[in-house]
Amino acid sequence: MLDRLTLSMRASHVLAALLVVAALVLAVVGSAIGDTFYLRLATEALIFAGLALSVDLLLGYSGALSLGQALYFGIGAYTSALVLMKVPSFWLAMGAAAGMTFVCAIIGGLIANRVRGVYFALITFGLAQVVAKVVYNIRDLGASDGMIGIPVIDIGIGPFSVSAGNPVGFFLVVLVIIMALYAATAYLLDTPFGRVLTALKANEKRVPFLGYSVWRARMVCYLAAALIAGLSGALYPMLRGFVSPELMFFMTSGNAVISVILGGVGTLVGALYGSVFLVIIKSVIGSWTDHYLIIIGLLFMAGVLFMPKGLIGFVRPHVERMIAPRHLRETRAPEQDAPLKAEEVKP
Amino acid sequence: MNALDYLQFVLAPQVVNGLALGVAVVLVALGLTIIFGLLDVINMSHGEFYAVGAYLALALGAAHIDFWLLIVLVPVLMLPLGMVTERLLIRPVFNTKDRHVTTLLVTFGLALIAEDVLKLIFGPNTQRPPTPIPGASEIFGIILPNYRLFLIAIGAVIVAGVAFVVYRTRLGAMVRAAAYDRNMAASLGVPVSLVYSGTFAFGVALAGLAGVLLAPIYSIFPTMGRDFILLAFTVVIVGGMGSIWGAVVAGLLLTQVQALASLVISPVWTDPIVFGTMVAFLVFRPQGLFGRLGHA
Repeated sequence: MLDRLTLSMRASHVLAALLVVAALVLAVVGSAIGDTFYLRLATEALIFAGLALSVDLLLGYSGALSLGQALYFGIGAYTSALVLMKVPSFWLAMGAAAGMTFVCAIIGGLIANRVRGVYFALITFGLAQVVAKVVYNIRDLGASDGMIGIPVIDIGIGPFSVSAGNPVGFFLVVLVIIMALYAATAYLLDTPFGRVLTALKANEKRVPFLGYSVWRARMVCYLAAALIAGLSGALYPMLRGFVSPELMFFMTSGNAVISVILGGVGTLVGALYGSVFLVIIKSVIGSWTDHYLIIIGLLFMAGVLFMPKGLIGFVRPHVERMIAPRHLRETRAPEQDAPLKAEEVKP
Repeated sequence: MNALDYLQFVLAPQVVNGLALGVAVVLVALGLTIIFGLLDVINMSHGEFYAVGAYLALALGAAHIDFWLLIVLVPVLMLPLGMVTERLLIRPVFNTKDRHVTTLLVTFGLALIAEDVLKLIFGPNTQRPPTPIPGASEIFGIILPNYRLFLIAIGAVIVAGVAFVVYRTRLGAMVRAAAYDRNMAASLGVPVSLVYSGTFAFGVALAGLAGVLLAPIYSIFPTMGRDFILLAFTVVIVGGMGSIWGAVVAGLLLTQVQALASLVISPVWTDPIVFGTMVAFLVFRPQGLFGRLGHA
């Protein structure tokens, strides 16, 4: 039986496939004209799309707004950088970043998951700020300058080998990893556990009555989100050859939140599109004024106030109608928010 | 160095400097906690309103308006700004299900814009207005800048004034009633909608006032709001959302923790200690020291 949730997720997958096609076209065109700049920019957009994906998993599915997801992005990036300086191995760096992020996320999760709502947002915000400030002052981690001179590595995939210095090759590697993270997240949400998360967002008080532990669901969600952010972050030093404390600053977390809101909360694929969209506006507007934040801020506020489903909210219903089987096609989707609006919001 | 000298030349100045910082933090946190206590809105742009206040003071000060007049003038000018913000940005999403998150996000967007607008108008450089009260005094053999003493004194006056308005006037009773149960307050004739925008504007005006008062010490730059905001949020959480006394006690406590800790360990690690204090409070007393505005 195909329900609305599955249908909208399938529509997301169609849009994700479109994104992959667009990326492949870019890769072909880019390698044909020998472009480096735009391929690097697109690679960076994809890496930050991974961070946005982790924010969307938390915000869109368990309803927890993290204002400090860059913390795990930064931890992944620093771990990867440290490993690469010693041993130039792609898989070792990714593994170490995942392990380190996981351990840190257990500590962070134990602190942050004691609270919810705005308190959760403020705690995650504070955690990231504090760790960023500590990293900013530790000389062994390069302090405020960060670490430079991370070697360009060769990424061995089976019998093949791709250099991280090759713009097209590395772009494709990042594309594969980010899409794998997307697929893993989508799979996680499709399991019974994923449905518990969805239930959590709809009505947290009723979930325990059904025999599920709210705390455990939130914690697993938090850990999964942190892992996604950490693995995305681990790719960053391979692209840019340096890491800096700015990766952990609020602006990085904030950009991920902006991407998610612009793309569409709770759609997964919206996070990816939002991130690409944000990079495009930044480089287009940034080419004629330094004050692009005003425009991004206005777009962001308009997104929050007028388009709660973001860009994907315009596109996805059409895709849904195209791929829906007959019995779901005729009936209009019920207004999902309607019964909740009637409930009085407790102050 | 004997114990008495340590007390006089190391500990006491540190405590007094911590007190000045504490008053600064309390001034910033006061508006934040009132807005949260009544409207349930985490105002992410509070730091930027603080910056706007400081820049207003700078611009008007350049037009030769006296500092003492600015202390009154800037908050009054901030009132309509807060009113408009509440009407345009908070009101439309106030009755949605996720209003905590939505209003937080909207004010975050506003913060982005405000910061960049300030940069556009005043340039990215750090500016420092002249200290309105120059010189230093010697108290018990400790030399203290006069302006910091003045700041501590006026901070106490402002806190007392705000507490008086909130807890001892009819206006404050309306605010507390609306915070406790807005439907009941509305049916008893409290103009709830006006109380909401008025309170938001009042919080914004307090942020502006903090900007005027703190600019001579902490300088003025477009991102100045970020420096205080984490500490202010920490104070609001530890003190209890919306509690004025909570903000005062938590503000002074946390800055003393910071000031005294930096005597013993490297200042780098004082932030984690302050943050750890907040986490400890959340573990043992999630509602904060004094609980919410309007609730007891």
